[in-house]
Amino acid sequence: MVKIPGAVSACPQTRPVRTVPSLAPRWADVHGKVTRTMRRSFVLAGAAAAVIGLLAGCGADGGASDSGKTTLSVAALEGGYGRDMYNQVIQAYETAHPDVDVQLQISKSIEDEITPNMKAGRYPDLVVLGQGRKAALTETLVKDKAVEDLSSVLQANVPGESTTVGAKLIDGTVGNLNTNPYGDDKTYLMPMYYAPTGLVYNQGLFEEKGWDVPATWDEMWALGDKAKKDGIALFTYPTAGYLDSFFFALLADVGGDQFYNDVMTYKQGVWQTPQAKQALDIAAKLLSYAAPTTVGYANEQDFTKNQQSILDNKALFMPNGTWIVGEMADAPRAEGFKWGLMPLPAAGEGGKRYIATSVESVWVPAAAKNKDAAKEFIAYLYSDEAAKIFAKSNAVQPIKGIVSSLSGENAEFYKVYDDPSVTALVGGFASTAPVPGVDIKATLFDTANSIISGDKTEDQWQAALNDASEKLRQAGS
Amino acid sequence: MATTLSTPPSDTSAPKRSAGRPARRRGELRFVLACLLPALVLFVLFMVVPTVNVFRMSFFTWSGFSPDMRFVGFDNFVKLFDDQQFVRAFQNTVALLVVVTVVTMGSGLFLAAIMTRQRLRGRNLYRFVLYIPNVLSVVVIAAIFSAVYDQQNGLLNGTLRLLSLDGLQQVWLGDQDLVLWSVAISMVWQSLGYYMVLYMSSMASIPEELYEASGLDGASTTRQFFAITLPLIWQNLRTTLTFFVMSAVNLSFVLVRAMTGGGPDGSSEVLLSYMYKQAYTNSSYGYGMAIGVVIFAFSFLVSLLVSRATRREPLQF
Repeated sequence: MVKIPGAVSACPQTRPVRTVPSLAPRWADVHGKVTRTMRRSFVLAGAAAAVIGLLAGCGADGGASDSGKTTLSVAALEGGYGRDMYNQVIQAYETAHPDVDVQLQISKSIEDEITPNMKAGRYPDLVVLGQGRKAALTETLVKDKAVEDLSSVLQANVPGESTTVGAKLIDGTVGNLNTNPYGDDKTYLMPMYYAPTGLVYNQGLFEEKGWDVPATWDEMWALGDKAKKDGIALFTYPTAGYLDSFFFALLADVGGDQFYNDVMTYKQGVWQTPQAKQALDIAAKLLSYAAPTTVGYANEQDFTKNQQSILDNKALFMPNGTWIVGEMADAPRAEGFKWGLMPLPAAGEGGKRYIATSVESVWVPAAAKNKDAAKEFIAYLYSDEAAKIFAKSNAVQPIKGIVSSLSGENAEFYKVYDDPSVTALVGGFASTAPVPGVDIKATLFDTANSIISGDKTEDQWQAALNDASEKLRQAGS
Repeated sequence: MATTLSTPPSDTSAPKRSAGRPARRRGELRFVLACLLPALVLFVLFMVVPTVNVFRMSFFTWSGFSPDMRFVGFDNFVKLFDDQQFVRAFQNTVALLVVVTVVTMGSGLFLAAIMTRQRLRGRNLYRFVLYIPNVLSVVVIAAIFSAVYDQQNGLLNGTLRLLSLDGLQQVWLGDQDLVLWSVAISMVWQSLGYYMVLYMSSMASIPEELYEASGLDGASTTRQFFAITLPLIWQNLRTTLTFFVMSAVNLSFVLVRAMTGGGPDGSSEVLLSYMYKQAYTNSSYGYGMAIGVVIFAFSFLVSLLVSRATRREPLQF
């Protein structure tokens, strides 16, 4: 080591300072009590400021309006339709209503973003979000009766037009369990977009093979046997959760409206009826025709591989909706592939066929601040001006006469409603108070995986459904 | 909290030579407390309060949003015993904990011993390769293993086909008896490198003379491992074991959620993923918190047992 002259003389100055805390009181002793107290409060103030600063980061909220404008906060799910259409509609609305400032919050996982604020009491004024999502935010608020009654919107005039909102809506799209979740005549969830969900298939393959699309289950089984000889499976599903539309339509096909409502409202012993047994028989038989790869791919990571098997002509049908076109837009496909959508085969000759219709909803939390402004905005969403913007992004609203303006695959899909024997079926299981450990949707859909693999029998399935339904019935009443 | 601290004690108004010292002490104490305050407030707010809340909430039924919470006492816990899905998730968690812990610890020790004692060529490369999975996000690991387990074009089934072992091909993520073990393998893959590196570093600090002396006495490599290596890294082993039990509970949740979603039909559900489903998807927040309490008690108990069962007199070199 080389000794540097002068380095030693620099040391003694720092030597008395052993630790930082011991320096502080010594310094204070010298300067007396006043400075000590001042210094102490300075430290505490600093500490308090640090805490407040850290906490403030969690509570940033831009809800208040100071320019006299009403701030309407809109939360929307960014679905397959994209976010552009919302921006355009909001822009158009703000131009017509200069006193309203619409704040849009949009995300693919909007529940995760608004839930923390809602728990802290800061609710958005308007939420565009359907049921059947994994986070089940809409369902939770419905179960809690925390959604505003929107019946008055139906009577209101569409801004700038002379018709009421209710008159513009397609018949049957309000007044069902989806919009009136408590089964009374009050509408809490307004239908925003609607889309058919049925069995998706490749029209090209049917033309090529000269097969007819089956209209009854007997024709379906015959087709299944025929396809098997060509190495094509009759059925697959992306994940078991996609069976929702399948089961809802099947139950309605087999037992009719009344039976369907009984199942959805957990009527006592409904799963032990012959109709329920018949529906489960059909489902179990169809699952025996399922592509062998189905269960192994029926998870979040691999479900597109099940969807791909339709594009590759390895399976004939899968339950799915109109979004499949966009979702698989970049996927490779068999030559001459053409999307088709059909309702479930009829339970009997000439039977009524239901097509499960998924409806995304717009609703207002009961705890929202600007409820009236929100209701007015909702009415505007059904105006011709807004509908045109939405339709450009393929978001089809349940407004009379809108289907004639569609083109391409969408026109193909919405054509299912033209068949006079086909009826739209909206809504799912009725809301009850939450029952710990009981999830009838999981019992009905997920068990399909076990039926295919043989881990559970149809009787066990029926018994589990009966049990879950009974527990929910008791919770509901 | 801050106001009580800032009120000056009365005796400081008349500073005497004898009272100077305690007063200074107090001043020091206050300064330290003031410095600790921000961290302490945050800790209480974000750690203590939520933990206490988990216990409190488990006695209520609550959907997660509504203002009406109903006190139900131990009802949520009683219901747990009747819930087949919960029992299954519990069994899965225990099975994963046991298997993954034993395999990871065992092979981690084995690999570390080989690499430090046998002076393996290219051991730095092996260490690097084995450590990489630990850096990856669990979601990425889930994606990698989905590709490995793919029933048609996966690495695993592809290799089996290449070796003409077609009969051994499995639907790794679709078979209800297999799916849990598929998850276990990816968990081992993820954590093996980390624990191996930990053991390697503690093995490297064991003095070489001990091995030389025992070598002269004719001890075999295996004997050396059990008589020298293992006892001398025992404290390290205990600590990692406790850590591992805790982290395995968390890791299994993320992996299951990203890879299988608990499926098919709930056969790979673990406690945390079931808690999440109940609390959020099934709107049974209180019930979910009851599951949370069970998980808390369970991991606490397991850690305690592991710590008790592995207690030895610490050896020094």
